[in-house]
Order: sequence, then C-alpha cells, then structure tokens
Amino acid sequence: MEKQSIQMTVNGQKYEFLIGEKFGMIPPSETLVQTLRKRLELTGTKESCDEGACGCCTVIIDGKAVASCMVLTVECDGSDILTIEGLENPETHELDPIQQKFISCYSFQCGYCTPGIIMSAKALFMKNPHPTGEQIREALAGNYCRCISHYTVLEALDKLAGVESDQYPIVKEAEEEDA
Amino acid sequence: MRDSDISRGKFNFDAPIVNGRPAPYRHIGKYRVRADARDIVTGRCTFLDDYSVPRMIYAQVLRSPYPHALITRIDVEKARSFPGVHAVITYKDMPKGWSMGWPVHKDLMAQEVYYVGDPVAVIAADTVDIARDAMQLIEVEYKQLPAVYDAIESLKPDAPVLYPGKFKSGTNEVDPGVPHFQPEGPWWHVEGGDVEQGFKESAYVADSMVEFNKMCSPNAPEAPSCIVRWEGGNDYTIWASSQSPFIYKLYNGPRIPKSQLRVKTFNVGGSYGNKQTMSVTTLCCAIAAIKTGRPVKLVLNKHEQFAAYEQRLGSKIRAKIGMTEDGIFNAVQGCWYVDTGCLGDAVQGQVGVGLGEAQLVMAKCKNWDLDSKVVVTNKAAAGIVRGYGGQELNSCLARNMAHCMMQADKDPVECFKKNYVAPGDKYYWRDGLIWQSRGSSHYPETMQMAADKFGWKDCWKGWLKPTRIEGRKAYGVGCGVIGNADVAEDNTQCIVRIQHDVKGRYATLIVQTDVTESGMGQRAAAAKFAAEVMNVPIERVYVTDPDSLANVVNFGLCGSRGTITVGKAVSKAAADARRKVLEMGAAYFHCSPEQLETKDFQVFLRDRPEKSIPIKKLGNKDLNVVGYGEHIEQFDVPSCCIFFVEVEVDLDTGAVRIPRFMQGTDIGQIIDNRMVRMQLQGGVGSASMDTATMEECIYDVNGTGRMLNCSQLEYKCRTFNDMPKHDCVIEESHPDTFMFKAIGIGEISGAAGASAVLMAISNAIGVEVNEYPATPDVILKAIKSKEAK
Repeated sequence: MEKQSIQMTVNGQKYEFLIGEKFGMIPPSETLVQTLRKRLELTGTKESCDEGACGCCTVIIDGKAVASCMVLTVECDGSDILTIEGLENPETHELDPIQQKFISCYSFQCGYCTPGIIMSAKALFMKNPHPTGEQIREALAGNYCRCISHYTVLEALDKLAGVESDQYPIVKEAEEEDA
Repeated sequence: MRDSDISRGKFNFDAPIVNGRPAPYRHIGKYRVRADARDIVTGRCTFLDDYSVPRMIYAQVLRSPYPHALITRIDVEKARSFPGVHAVITYKDMPKGWSMGWPVHKDLMAQEVYYVGDPVAVIAADTVDIARDAMQLIEVEYKQLPAVYDAIESLKPDAPVLYPGKFKSGTNEVDPGVPHFQPEGPWWHVEGGDVEQGFKESAYVADSMVEFNKMCSPNAPEAPSCIVRWEGGNDYTIWASSQSPFIYKLYNGPRIPKSQLRVKTFNVGGSYGNKQTMSVTTLCCAIAAIKTGRPVKLVLNKHEQFAAYEQRLGSKIRAKIGMTEDGIFNAVQGCWYVDTGCLGDAVQGQVGVGLGEAQLVMAKCKNWDLDSKVVVTNKAAAGIVRGYGGQELNSCLARNMAHCMMQADKDPVECFKKNYVAPGDKYYWRDGLIWQSRGSSHYPETMQMAADKFGWKDCWKGWLKPTRIEGRKAYGVGCGVIGNADVAEDNTQCIVRIQHDVKGRYATLIVQTDVTESGMGQRAAAAKFAAEVMNVPIERVYVTDPDSLANVVNFGLCGSRGTITVGKAVSKAAADARRKVLEMGAAYFHCSPEQLETKDFQVFLRDRPEKSIPIKKLGNKDLNVVGYGEHIEQFDVPSCCIFFVEVEVDLDTGAVRIPRFMQGTDIGQIIDNRMVRMQLQGGVGSASMDTATMEECIYDVNGTGRMLNCSQLEYKCRTFNDMPKHDCVIEESHPDTFMFKAIGIGEISGAAGASAVLMAISNAIGVEVNEYPATPDVILKAIKSKEAK
C-alpha cells in the first residue's frame, strides 16, 4: 500500500510528514537534505554536489554516516536522524568533544564542509571511540574539502583517538596559547 | 622550551616595541579562535543558500547545449503559462547595456551563443522545481556554428571570429590592458635590454612550447549564488556568495545600467579568488528581479559550476630562455597565449601580474621580450583562481628554466637563490610601472633552510636521476619558487570605534571595514590587529558585517593583499583611536600622553598602574572614540615561497603518489600560528599542486564541445586518505610593511607546486615530462619514449 505519511526523529524531535504532490507535502522525489534544510530549517547540513560525492550533506541515520542528498525522505520512515545541530547538548549547550576539538585545533577554513566532516567523524567515534589513524582517514575519504583543512581536522581527530602522527606539524592549541 | 623555539624560525627577532608596549605580543602570532568558530562547528554559520528574504522566488537558467550557435527559433509561451512561473526571459526581452568583458564584448543573452552553458533563458518561479519543470517546455532551435577551443587555433586566419567589431585586432585577440589595473595605459609586454645580446652571453638556452592549459576548476564547495532584490528606481540590494562586496559592486554596477548596488555577503564556502564578480549569475538574477518585482535567488548546481562558471585561465607559452655559465637567467623571449574562454573579463590584470611574477623569479635578467595575447574561445569563461595569472605562467616558464638548469647540470635550489628578486632589484608590475623591491633580503637563506629541512642535499641526485628505486617504485624530488608583489595592492580604509558598555568599565572595539570571511581568517586577523594596538581581549572586538554601503572601502582578502592592506588600515585606525584616548587621559591625569598606557579599555599611568580610569569616563558622555586609518596601494614588497616535493612513481602503472611536500617562506611576522600553516597546506587544493597530477577539465573538442567531467564524481581531487606529509619553514624577518611587519602568503603557497611536481616526476622516471596533468598515461608514454631511445 502506498504510504500517506512518514514519521522520523530528527535530533530527538519527532516529526510526521504527509507524502504527496500537493503544495506543502513531501513529494516522493524529495531528498532528505532538502527536507532538513527547507522544511526543518536545519541549514547546517549543506547541499553542495547533490550526487553523493562531496560529503557536505552528511548526517547520521540510525548510527551510520549517510550523504543525505542520496536518500529520499520517504525512505526514512521510522529512522532516527542526527544532524550537526543535534550534537550540542540542548540543555547545557556544551559542545560535542569533536566540535570542541575542531575549535581548539582550528580544523576548518571556510567552514562550509565542516558540518559534514564532523558528522562523518562522529559516526566513526560512535562506533569506535579509539579508531586507528587509518580508520579515521578512511572514514573521511568521502568528505571533500577544497581549502585543505585536512591536516588540522586529522590532528583534532587523531588527538581525540589517541593516535600519533607525523603527517602535520604540531603547534599550540587555542587553550595552550596563554598557558 | 619557549614556543618560539619549537615552531618559530631563526629570524624571529625580538618583536619591536609597538605603541610603547614591548614584545611579546598579546595576540599577534598566536592562534586566536575566530569569532565564527562556534557557529561553524555547530552548523549555525550562515552561507548564502541558508538565507532567504520575504517574497523571494527562484531562478533557473536554460543553457546552450552547443559551443557556438545561432538561435533560429525560441518559443517560451508554454513555460510562461506554467503554474507558478513568474517570468521567462530570453535575449528578446533584454534591455540594452547588460554586457560584460573588457572591452565590452558579450551580452548576458544574445541570439548567438558562445559556449556550452551560455544562458538562453532565465526562468523565475515559486520554487526551483517549478522553474526546472517549466524549463523543459521551452522550445529552441539552433543553427550550429564553427567553434574553436584553443588560444593558438583561435588566432589562425581561418578561425571563426567570435565577436566581430569588438576588438581592435579584428580577430579573437582581446585588446590588451585594462584601466582599473593599468590607469597609466595598457601594459602587456615585458621589454628591456637587448635580448639578442642576452642570448649571445648565455651558455644554455631552452626553447620550447609548454602548456598549462587544462583550465582546472577551483570548485569551491559552495556554489556561486546570489539573491537580488530590486528596490525600485536605480537601487538594488544583493546578497552574494562573493568573497568581496567591493569588487562585486565595482564590476557589476556598470553592467546593470544606471544601477546603485548595495552588496552584502555572508561567510563564503570557499572561493580561492574565483567567486568575486559572478557577473553572469548576478545579471541573470537581476533581470529576473526587475521583470518580476520580486527578490530572486539563483544558486548554481554543481554541473553548472563546473561547466558554465569561471575556470582557471588556459596557458600556453612559446619561450626561449637563456642562462649564463654561472646560473643567472639572462634573456627571455616569447609569447604567452592566454585562453580566457568566451569572455575576457579584465583578465588583462591577471596577465599583468603573471608577467610581473615571471620577473621576480628571474630578477637578475636584464634582457626581456615577453609578449602576451589574451584570446577568446568557445569554452566557459576563464578568470580568477588562486595564483591570479602567476601560477599559469610560472607552471610553463619553470619548465623552460628547468631545461636550462638541466643542460648546465646546476642544482635548482642554488639557481633559485641566485635569481630571486632581492632588495634593490627592479621589475615592471601590472600597472606597467617599474618598481624597486624593498622586500625581505632573507629569501635565499630561507630557501636554503627549507632545502635543509627537506633533506634536499641527500635526495637530489641530479637532473633526471631518481632519489632511489625500490622494486618498481621510483622516487624523485623537485622544487619550484614563486612570489607576488601584489601583497600591498589596492587602497583600503578602516574606522575603529570604541563603543562603551552601558554598564561597567568596559567597551566593545568596533572594526569597521569590508572583509568577507571566505576561509582565510582575515576577519579574525583584523580583530587581532585592533585588539593588539588597543590592548584588549580579542573577544571584545567586533568586525562589522561585510556590506558595500555601510562600510568604508576594502577589497577584502582577494589575492595576496589581505595581510598588509587590512593590517595597515586597521592598525592605523586603532592607533588613531588610541592616540585620542591617551590625549583625553593626559588631560584627566594632567600628564603627557606618553606617560600613559591602555589595557582592557582602561587608561593608566605607566609608572603608577593603580591610577587608572575607564575610557568611558573620559571625553563627552556616551560618544564613541573614533579612529581612522588607510593604506595606499604599492607594489614594492614581493613575497616568496619555495615549494619542495617528493613523488613516488609506479613504473608499471604510471600512478603517482606524493609522500610529502614542504614550503619555505619568510612571512615577515606570523599573525596566526595555525592559520599560516593552513594557508601553506592549502597549496595542495584549489587547482594548485594537484593540477600537476590529477586535476583537469576535459572538453570534447572533437565533437560536442562539452566539458566531459563536469561533476564532483568525475573531476579528480585529493581525498582525506591520500594527504602527503606536510612540513614548512616559516621565517620572520620583520620587513617594513606595516606596524606588525607581516607580508602575506596564501595565494602563492601552491603556485609553484605544479612545476615542482613535474620536476620530481621527471627525475623519478629519468625523462622530462612537460605535460599537465601527468596522469598515468602521460607517464607511461614518457617511460616508453625513454626506453625507445
């Protein structure tokens, strides 16, 4: 039977959407990134290449990092979705350790691809809090960054995972500058 | 161990006393968290596509499927009557004067189309989907015309002339020179000395054609995009994903006849010089805004960004270079053919900079005859990308220079050290005037330090000799050098205000200057300069939002200019405000201003710090203290970056891996310890180093004229699991640039990378490779040609 509506949880909030072609409904062709951005105003998830190749739209669906431009919203019925906006503690406003480390290590330049990178990393760390350096690099291989913030991103994640690397020069983090 | 011992260079002289306060600096040199950092990591940071204005509708563009054609019939009636469509605009509906290029030669839409992707119709509708559906209903018939895809082919007598009557040449050669960059008159040709005599004195000569012609894509993650709201009359408000509201307004103002543009920007998702004017996108949006009376948003999709937006200039150079027995480049003769695609949009400025940069690396050469020709072809417009003409020319000339050095069997590092511009050397710059360097005298020493850190002496086995071979893997090293005297270009202003808190003793330091954040941290640097001068916490500094109307003049951080120009204007404005504060304090304490200090918005007697008063309590009640500073353009401080790279070539497959790279530079003074390293690392991306091995725009030149790899999947870029090891040498010699003695580096950090990689590949496989990009097929072909000999 054709579905008339779908339910999903986004960042802990439950939503129910009507499916259909009428104005305001979610058409079956709508991708998850469009629903997140245009209907829920969760604009932290970026729509860039729209063909699953840049990772800017990465969100976590049921524990897995997924390019949300490659998923139809109608496919997400019953899914638990985590976006970049859902990482911060909603009550204390404390940042996720990955977010905090990205600030400490200056792990971004333009910052456009950063939410997607953080979500890919978050999915990895949710599954494995102590990934190897190679696992970190493989997990991010689908995230495009043109400014080349790769080195400070890897530094932040290596440090969180307890991995040592000589791939990049080490300099002080923000909190160490005036120590 | 002090931080400077770990991460700062040999030239890190004690910082000078600034405004009575000695080193170490409170902020300068340190990593300070950017004001937008939390927003970036939480997804709250606003980019253009995250923003909407009330009543906004959406535009889409129907684009030509042919590289050169005449529209013989176009019927848009079905599309116009499609529900939700507000306007469909074709060339028939266009008012006069919506034209681009210098000299003006291309209308936004015309009956003739000039490249695959040229706008044929603009559709404005309630949603993007409706606009796309309506687009399918437009009926167009074309008569195909002959097309040309190469600058040299385009100059041949039988080539189709794309814009008859528009250029003085009567051919596809665009008029040289551009007034904004060359107010004294056009300049496009480095001439001087006696070239014939120069070659006679040369012991080694290289004479060949080298191409850096694959017109790679900067491919910013965020698409070119804008929202245009016509306010009625001549006024427009535009929000754009441009890295410079000022440049955007400068270029687009005249293209929308009788317009007054107010341009605002948000954070920009990567630009690399490429998202500045965005004229085609802007004009499409603006005409839709006029025709519908609604604010219109247009965001290019990735395919449009690749195939119909500006790419790197095509570059071919036939050049003859002579070098003396002792390794001094002594004569340069040649012609640089620049393919600007279908639109020559002030590309002459880039050519001027490219020619300038060529002289910096061969600064001892007195004999020049280096001509240039900018040529239009039937490809998407080419324009500005990080490197701004310099990388395009250097990537070619460096191969000719390498050929000379190879004949002479000279170490390239030694040659670069001898030939690079030193204080007192003269060169033509892009304004056509002769400038004399008063830049750093420490570049040769810096190059050597970088070579030593890289281990050059051990890795360099001579020309066309691998460092080592392990099984079927050959390793080689290469290096390149480049610099830019644009670091102090463009006049810049800043106003600094001290706005007192309503309660308490403190205040906010407002830095009013027009800087967009597109990744390089320039807004944070502006905050840092002001905080350092005023001696306040960086969190207490607010840099005004980028806006061409509300701010004083600043071209923003485009090109190499940001550090010196913004640095000088901001630090002078802050110093001016501080001077006023001290004068008010002197009146209060009955002392001289020289006896006073400021810290955290308090004024105190230096010798009796317990005697202090908040700035708030000095001067007239409630009023801000205001300071002003400016920078005036000059071209006498060249920057410098030497690039070292090691490659690993698989002799069976031709695959290249880059295990490590390194740069050396004298940065003058580090402003941000982390940012400067990221700027160096950035030389891998944005169509820089990787243009040597993987990046290219592939056009179907024998058939459809289309770009074949116009998608994120097909256009090859480096990924997280393939990053080379990075290291750098950053020296700080404190040249006299502005209060904080810095120079600027980002633009050139990868510009010599491509030629360095080709040198390294050539050495690894034992035969010269001069083709960009050196993909596996190119390398296997080269290996075979060597074996055939």
